[in-house]
Amino acid sequence: MSEAAILTEGLGKSFGTQAAVSNLNLQIQPGAVYGFLGRNGAGKTTTMRMLLGLVRPSKGSMRVLGLDPAREAELMRILERVAFVPQRKQLYGWATPAELVRMNKAYFPRWSDEAAAGLAQRLEIPMKTAFKKLSIGNQSKVALLLALAQGAEVLILDEPTAGLDPVMVDEILRTLIEDHVSQGRTIFVSSHHLGEVEQICDWVGILEEGRLLLEARLEEIRQEFRLVIVSGENLPDAPSADVVSAMTDGRFRRYVLAREAERFAAELRSQGAAILEISPIGLRELFLHLVRKEAPCTPGNAGAKAAPVSSFS
Amino acid sequence: MYAWKCWRESRASFIFFLIMSTAVALLITLAPGLKEQNGWWHFDRSEYDPSPTTQMVTYQILSSLGAMGFLSALFFGATASGSEIEPGTIEYLWTRPRTRASVTWIHWGVCVAEMLVVAVVPIYLAAALLGSLTRYWQMPLLLITPWIIFIVGVPMLGLTTLMTALRRSGKGGLLYTAGVVTVYVIVRQIVTVPLHLNLPTLFAGPLFWLMNNKPFVPLSAFPWGSLWRAVFLAAALPLAAQYLLKRAEV
Repeated sequence: MSEAAILTEGLGKSFGTQAAVSNLNLQIQPGAVYGFLGRNGAGKTTTMRMLLGLVRPSKGSMRVLGLDPAREAELMRILERVAFVPQRKQLYGWATPAELVRMNKAYFPRWSDEAAAGLAQRLEIPMKTAFKKLSIGNQSKVALLLALAQGAEVLILDEPTAGLDPVMVDEILRTLIEDHVSQGRTIFVSSHHLGEVEQICDWVGILEEGRLLLEARLEEIRQEFRLVIVSGENLPDAPSADVVSAMTDGRFRRYVLAREAERFAAELRSQGAAILEISPIGLRELFLHLVRKEAPCTPGNAGAKAAPVSSFS
Repeated sequence: MYAWKCWRESRASFIFFLIMSTAVALLITLAPGLKEQNGWWHFDRSEYDPSPTTQMVTYQILSSLGAMGFLSALFFGATASGSEIEPGTIEYLWTRPRTRASVTWIHWGVCVAEMLVVAVVPIYLAAALLGSLTRYWQMPLLLITPWIIFIVGVPMLGLTTLMTALRRSGKGGLLYTAGVVTVYVIVRQIVTVPLHLNLPTLFAGPLFWLMNNKPFVPLSAFPWGSLWRAVFLAAALPLAAQYLLKRAEV
């Protein structure tokens, strides 16, 4: 296996007594498109900022393209090869997108003028209007253009499509797939739009209160993950290591299983429970199951495992 | 490219200071020749007595433009990279492959060049005009004036750069620098007169020396200590700002 594009080991960041990220283990392989999901304040942005040297970690270690962002010399080499679209897409208000492109290209040896011109046309960006006079959507497009034309090996995108209309979202996703995913570039993207994540990502990680609750292949979620709805007396909270989430919904108990749902259902049935439904679970439903406060979630950090094998302790 | 961005952001202030300083310097130079006759103003070159006029113009230029180094330093320094933290453009800047130290010093270099032009060009233009009007080119005080204004201004640039990094905002940096300097000047004045204490001029000694060397007053000893302090602070203050920014998280 080649060196991970992004690797974190026990990564943590605290602001005072508040832990923003705790014991985060990520291993994102080159060419992966990794959706980093979580509610507001879950720690997604802090993680991305740590990877780019904007925030110093309190604990743990990290590598981006095999280099340590905590060392300035290595960080410079990382920044040459990594493109970043921040959540707050703020650029110099006085500059036009054309000026920003001229300014930006000087920083990056692999900058593509052709890609920049193509993106400006496809995203319908007014290149001669001052940035501060652009709509929020157009400002987001400029930030994306600067990142995508950079020729980066890794793209770190923090809610890249926020503020864009559905046509532009589609255009951005198409660009990402055609120009970046197809060329084997690594994309680490956070988004609240789970539909977009399902469209482009092959891996997802779900973060809650700074802890990684689940990491899995999307394909695996589609094929293996099942929602089991059960009715009965004295149902166990965590009867199996394959249970990703279990929550009470009125008189029913809803379990999300990472694998072997049929065997799990048979076990419960043998204990007298009634199995009401076994159905595939979508990313949205899985996400809601994991992050809803009243629901017991997987406690651990699934880390870089190929499947979510977290279990209740 | 960052140098271009620094220039682009300080360009308006630079042009303003250059035009204002040039206009003031030229007006002072031409003023001795302006005469009113029958309600009309006209220019009379015969009014230019070489030595006295040169000394008078030198002193007036010095009095009028002495604060220009301070003011230009305040406004140029307020565009330092620390000023990008508050509006949020710092995320863009700090994710380019350039060290925070290089960004600090590139900004410093651009501003120093602008301050030099603002100090030298107007006064040397005035000196050239004055020389051609009086046919008298002995004007050492006038010729060293821009350099003193510049040297005294550069530590102020460093102080504003540091304050901008501390306050994480251009406006905050500008106001705090102005505040620190004003408070020091007021305290110095209060302490000096009633208590007869002579607080040091820190790095502004050369400027005070220039201002005290009025026409027909013998030259006093040049405050070399103050000059070296100015040079030291010119380097030390941005260095402190660089350290702060290197440690900063956004």
